[in-house]
Amino acid sequence: MVMLLLALRLGRWGIAGFGAVAFLVTLLQSAGFYRVAGRTEAERQAFGRSMSILAAQFSAIVPPPVRPDTVGGYVQFRAFGSLAIAFAIWALVAASGAMRGDEERGIVEAVLAAGLSRPRMITARLAAFALGSLVAALAATAGLLAGVASGGETFSATAAVGAAVALAALGVCCYSLTTLLVQLTSARGATVFAGIVLLALFLINSLSRTFDGLARWRWLSPFHYYELSSPLVPGGGLDARATSILITIALATAVPAALAFSFRDIGSPLFRFPARARPASFEMSRSPVWRVPIVRDLYERRISLLVWAAGLAALSAVFVVLTKTIVQPLLAIPALAAYFAFFLKGDVYTSFLGYIWFGFAQLLMAGFAITHVARWSAEDADGRLDLILSSPISRVRVVGERVIVLMLGALLVTGVSGVAVGVEAHYQAIELDGRRLAEATLLLVPFTLVFGAVGALLAGWIPRAAVALLGAFAFASYLIVQLGPIFKLPEWAEDLSAFKLYGQPLTAGVDQTGLVITLAIVVGGLAASAIVMQGRDIGT
Amino acid sequence: MAVAAIGTSKLSKDYGMGRGLFELDLRVEQQEVFGFLGPNGAGKTTMIRCLMGLIRPTAGSAQVFGLDCMHDYVAVKRRVGYVPGDMPQFGSLRGSEVVAHLGAMRGGADLKVVRNLAERFSLDLSRRYREYSSGNKQKLGIVLAFMHRPPLLILDEPTSGLDPLNQQEFYKLLKEARDGGATIFLSSHILSEVEHACDRVGIIRSGRLVRIADLDELHSIRFHHVELEFAPGAKVPIAAIRSAAGVEEVVVDGHIVRCTVRGTFEPLLDAIRGATVTNLVSHEPSLEELFLEYYQESASTKALTN
Repeated sequence: MVMLLLALRLGRWGIAGFGAVAFLVTLLQSAGFYRVAGRTEAERQAFGRSMSILAAQFSAIVPPPVRPDTVGGYVQFRAFGSLAIAFAIWALVAASGAMRGDEERGIVEAVLAAGLSRPRMITARLAAFALGSLVAALAATAGLLAGVASGGETFSATAAVGAAVALAALGVCCYSLTTLLVQLTSARGATVFAGIVLLALFLINSLSRTFDGLARWRWLSPFHYYELSSPLVPGGGLDARATSILITIALATAVPAALAFSFRDIGSPLFRFPARARPASFEMSRSPVWRVPIVRDLYERRISLLVWAAGLAALSAVFVVLTKTIVQPLLAIPALAAYFAFFLKGDVYTSFLGYIWFGFAQLLMAGFAITHVARWSAEDADGRLDLILSSPISRVRVVGERVIVLMLGALLVTGVSGVAVGVEAHYQAIELDGRRLAEATLLLVPFTLVFGAVGALLAGWIPRAAVALLGAFAFASYLIVQLGPIFKLPEWAEDLSAFKLYGQPLTAGVDQTGLVITLAIVVGGLAASAIVMQGRDIGT
Repeated sequence: MAVAAIGTSKLSKDYGMGRGLFELDLRVEQQEVFGFLGPNGAGKTTMIRCLMGLIRPTAGSAQVFGLDCMHDYVAVKRRVGYVPGDMPQFGSLRGSEVVAHLGAMRGGADLKVVRNLAERFSLDLSRRYREYSSGNKQKLGIVLAFMHRPPLLILDEPTSGLDPLNQQEFYKLLKEARDGGATIFLSSHILSEVEHACDRVGIIRSGRLVRIADLDELHSIRFHHVELEFAPGAKVPIAAIRSAAGVEEVVVDGHIVRCTVRGTFEPLLDAIRGATVTNLVSHEPSLEELFLEYYQESASTKALTN
């Protein structure tokens, strides 16, 4: 019980944060439904049809909507589809943090020294996450009910709770899987390894909607079982069998996770190859990379940069293939071809690719910036910044070097993905304007720097909360773009969002005003962060 | 008059609730080894972080070689080698890479000096930082502080985690640095360490500098708790022990005698000469005990004088 309470305490910010996100997302989506779907039956059916066409673009990420002409079907698609991804990411970060992060911080050692057995510790952490994710998922339920009430309608509370149960079950399943996976590798690679496996499980399910060859492997993915439930859709419901499978997977993976944890040494992976015997060395590294500012920081991050570059390149190629696979059959329908010709500027493939890939790439690059800011905060908390500043370098230089490293890292990652898009588009016989592709790719760099500049300011101001606040900023920024047209936000409010400022460069070219505002935010954020950094106490 | 290596004037850092550093005036001369002694939480690290320009004083000022620690902090760092109270994380970097990284930030480190330091402390620089024990991390901190042969070393409890052999090596290194012209500011909560290595000692308690003492005064402050166990049936020389100079608070419990010894052990050893002692245990009092003793004594002396 004490361990359960401790685990809840350690995870309280995650519960509060994801609970708030879940509440806001469902509240805004359900309230937004009444603004865009109309009031009459005919209006809503027309809206539902257009949503279904629109949703085809996102089939690689979220399942296609069922009855989007109803508030339940709409929120199931718009909110609970993306919340599934959010809860899986939360589970990944929470489980790897609980098992390997807390191990690095000495919390695991202290808990075990207090007399708690390893299986009991894992059980308590899993139970705490289950409780926390249920609370956060119920916040989504509350948001939905509040949003529906704002539209003057009512909604079945049982169905809304059913959606929360399915969401929490998916979260617990991902948590338990991660708990097992992180036992197998070193602490350093644990999150990346578990993240790659979870991403693969996610993609198996989502891409199987487009690529038939993957359909036979769908049963492997927890996301498949989550999607079998559609409690908010009229006539749908919580699939008890699928939800039971999620919980069974969670329990079944917790057992080998506990066994692996019991058999491995604290601080080591389950399987460890004996280190090669080698003589001690008393020599300082003579590698030239350490002598050049910026280069040494990039070199230190080389593995993560390569993973990001390879991951983004692979995903971008997949999105190009998806574009071809989805658009080709649509263009074969003469009515739709005329529809596209009327509404879309330029080539349909290009518009589609610009929308789905560069929209998704923005989210990924915001995540890339957040990982850098997390490191800046960690340097402050663990004392590394103290030692860096014991060298004769100024604080402003520290801020500057950090941002240049982020900029060059973003340039590398987006550059590789841009080349991958170009090459794959060539193979798929999609004609892209090379200049526009280069512009769209390069514009991702200032876009990333917006989050870097805001992150630098937060890391200088309140480093311990910087990641959470930057995540909230990114979330709010994304919501503004998604919900701005629905809630008819003023233009200037939408212009505050980096996602809006990026524009549609692949089809419409560079939005000069957006770029200027973006650069102004970057410069202003950096100047403010330099001032804040100059005046603050380090390590507090 | 030469500029002081370290000078503070009414230096204060108020964290509220009585925590922090208050109106600290201090002057450390060049080529001096200055010990900064105080119990845990007394404000030693706060003082050092002010000197390093990592935190801003609430009031007063701190200078290193005449340079203001906050305004001229880059210039100050060129002259300083620093061992922090806690070594930070460097994850999977190797020791050799940490040295190269931080050495490059100083414009390069001397390969020979690094090799010499690593060899002296048997620090294998090819191992990853995360594989280092706390003692090895501390050794790396020492290498980082000494590798550029700075004129001022600011060391925050540098021997914590070091085994006795490496502690001795470290004291030798301090002596060599001082002989080479460096000034050393050494923070510690271990009286014997400061006594061993320093010329002068500043004693800090609850954020206030209570005394600056030279070595002789320090000797007079310190005392030891001693427990003597005599062989069963052997004669216990109680009277001789009670009358020995510097021996106080004698308590007899059968064939075990407990007492406090102030200053040298010679008189006590003379008193027990010829008796069969089966066990002799001596331990240093904690700094808190020492301060209590010191303050009680000061108060009673003051009362007698009045």
